[in-house]
Amino acid sequence: MVEYKLGVSGLDDAIGDVRGGSNIMLIGPPMSKKEVIINNIAYQGLMTGESSIFISTGESGESIIQWFEENGKDINGYIDRLGVIDCVSKTLGLNVGDIDHIKRISSPVNLTGISVSITNFFEEFWMKKGIQKSRLCVDSLSTILMYSNLQTVFRFLHVHTRRIKTAGALGVYIIESGMHDEQTITTLKQLFDGVIEIEEENESYFIRSVGLTQKPTKWCEYEANGAEMIVKHKERR
Amino acid sequence: MIEIGIPKIDDYLKGGLPIGKSLLYYIHPGVEGDIFGMQTLYTNLQKGYKGICITATTSPETLRERFREYDFDLEKYEENFDIIDAYSALIGADSSEKYVVDNPEDIKNIDKVITETIEDSSGGLIIHGSLSNIMDMCGEKETLECVEGWNKCMLLYDGVGIYNFTAWPYSDETLTKVRDEFFNAVVKVGGIAEKVIFGQYYSVSKSDWTDDNLGHSILFKILKPGGVRVYLPKILVTGPFNAGKSTFIHSLSTRSVSVDRFGTTVALDHGHVDYNGFSADIFGTPGQERFDPILKTLGGEAMGVFLVIDSTKPYECERAKQMLDITKTFGLPSVIVANKQDAPGASSVDDLRIEMAILDEHIPIIPVVAKDGEGVIEAFEMLIDRIMVRL
Repeated sequence: MVEYKLGVSGLDDAIGDVRGGSNIMLIGPPMSKKEVIINNIAYQGLMTGESSIFISTGESGESIIQWFEENGKDINGYIDRLGVIDCVSKTLGLNVGDIDHIKRISSPVNLTGISVSITNFFEEFWMKKGIQKSRLCVDSLSTILMYSNLQTVFRFLHVHTRRIKTAGALGVYIIESGMHDEQTITTLKQLFDGVIEIEEENESYFIRSVGLTQKPTKWCEYEANGAEMIVKHKERR
Repeated sequence: MIEIGIPKIDDYLKGGLPIGKSLLYYIHPGVEGDIFGMQTLYTNLQKGYKGICITATTSPETLRERFREYDFDLEKYEENFDIIDAYSALIGADSSEKYVVDNPEDIKNIDKVITETIEDSSGGLIIHGSLSNIMDMCGEKETLECVEGWNKCMLLYDGVGIYNFTAWPYSDETLTKVRDEFFNAVVKVGGIAEKVIFGQYYSVSKSDWTDDNLGHSILFKILKPGGVRVYLPKILVTGPFNAGKSTFIHSLSTRSVSVDRFGTTVALDHGHVDYNGFSADIFGTPGQERFDPILKTLGGEAMGVFLVIDSTKPYECERAKQMLDITKTFGLPSVIVANKQDAPGASSVDDLRIEMAILDEHIPIIPVVAKDGEGVIEAFEMLIDRIMVRL
């Protein structure tokens, strides 16, 4: 069976390997460094010979690549296994075209275009490059939900979470907590196999996973030091 | 009749789309389908028709850029081309287009602008860039009611309506209605999937003026520039040793590679051809008998065959037929490439026909000088014709 390590040490200790075909919601408040977590998950895939497809609704494709470079995560040797779907540059009216590892989408409302780019990257990695372990990292669903209604996004996710399952890949999707009503989160949760939850308390952030292990893991405090996630074994009271 | 401009579809629809009718591209999610509407539009702009494109997910500027990616030069036809901008207002941007939807989430607003545009552009084509997107924003029932109105209006003003629709998992009722009720013709654009989508096809699934060719599927690729191309994943080139198979492949292909030793093919040749709406991968077999055990594998799933012979050695016909047998390609659409026509002692096509009576008399023989590229394209066109009549 295909399994994946998230690449976030404290979380990996608590969760163990994640079964291939899993879709995980990563939900937490703004400024809780969710992007550091998801970037590390994508990087872990690249380092271990997998492919990583990254959908960015907040940063241009180049900025995503730059983040890795600036934070000492050298991806030069792995760039042919990285695919970034940039939903930002065209929305800002920048006159930039596609390059091998960055495909630009006209806007986050263009779910058809995002969908086609995911398919194209999967085809390239699986069929042309023979890489049959893939991660899809979406940062973030909240932006997509700002442009399209819940039902539309649900249909889009329904298609792609099933494709992740069929391909035995790993999907991780960021959601901003506090930005959507409870019904939206509950509706979307139906599509996921597990949730990584982040909460803030007394200016500290705590993280746990639900649904990926028999019981929810314990809340542990964490902090991000640059690009590194430090999950402390200090439990929440 | 409006030409659809997608290879084979016009044949299947007996010449294209009659004036006043509508056609839906029913596109599976993840399959690159928006190019279909763009290609139909561009084909008809070139023929002098008026064309209008509705954009609801892309800025007009980005849409024009998309056309340029396929080498569809809209600037030449700017007089006859307009965009209905149903996107800019969504992100609070100004629009300089002639037709603008002020509130893209209001179907009444969209309906008003589209209806006015149809009236303005009598006899033109309206391409709905993403019907599913309008349905998502404005409601399925409400949008489909308007579609009925737009189609009636097209009939009244001698236009045609082309719709791109991404078949997200809507209710079965909605999908059935879209497929069966609202449009005169439906072309399905789908993906061949196992664990991932690895191939794409289209087929006409509905037409209310002809039903002769419904359901035939055609594999396709999207080329930039170029657009939709019929994709032939495997055409085999076989024939006796030293007949000129590798030279033929290199001469025909836009790019090619050979696995050879001292100039003799010892594994296979591979080439790729993009020509006149077709995209094909060409595989060549070695000719020496010691490689016969691998010929069956190389011939598997071929869609057509070039049998290359040396025109100075018509007596090798028996060996040529044997190679068709071994590759299990006997009976597939074939063309005999009579190579080395410029060599001293080369037999004429008529003489070769007599010598090669052992083969089906209907297989065409094309005179070729592969090293100079003579006759190479003619042979390719002939084989494509023979493959396409079977689709």
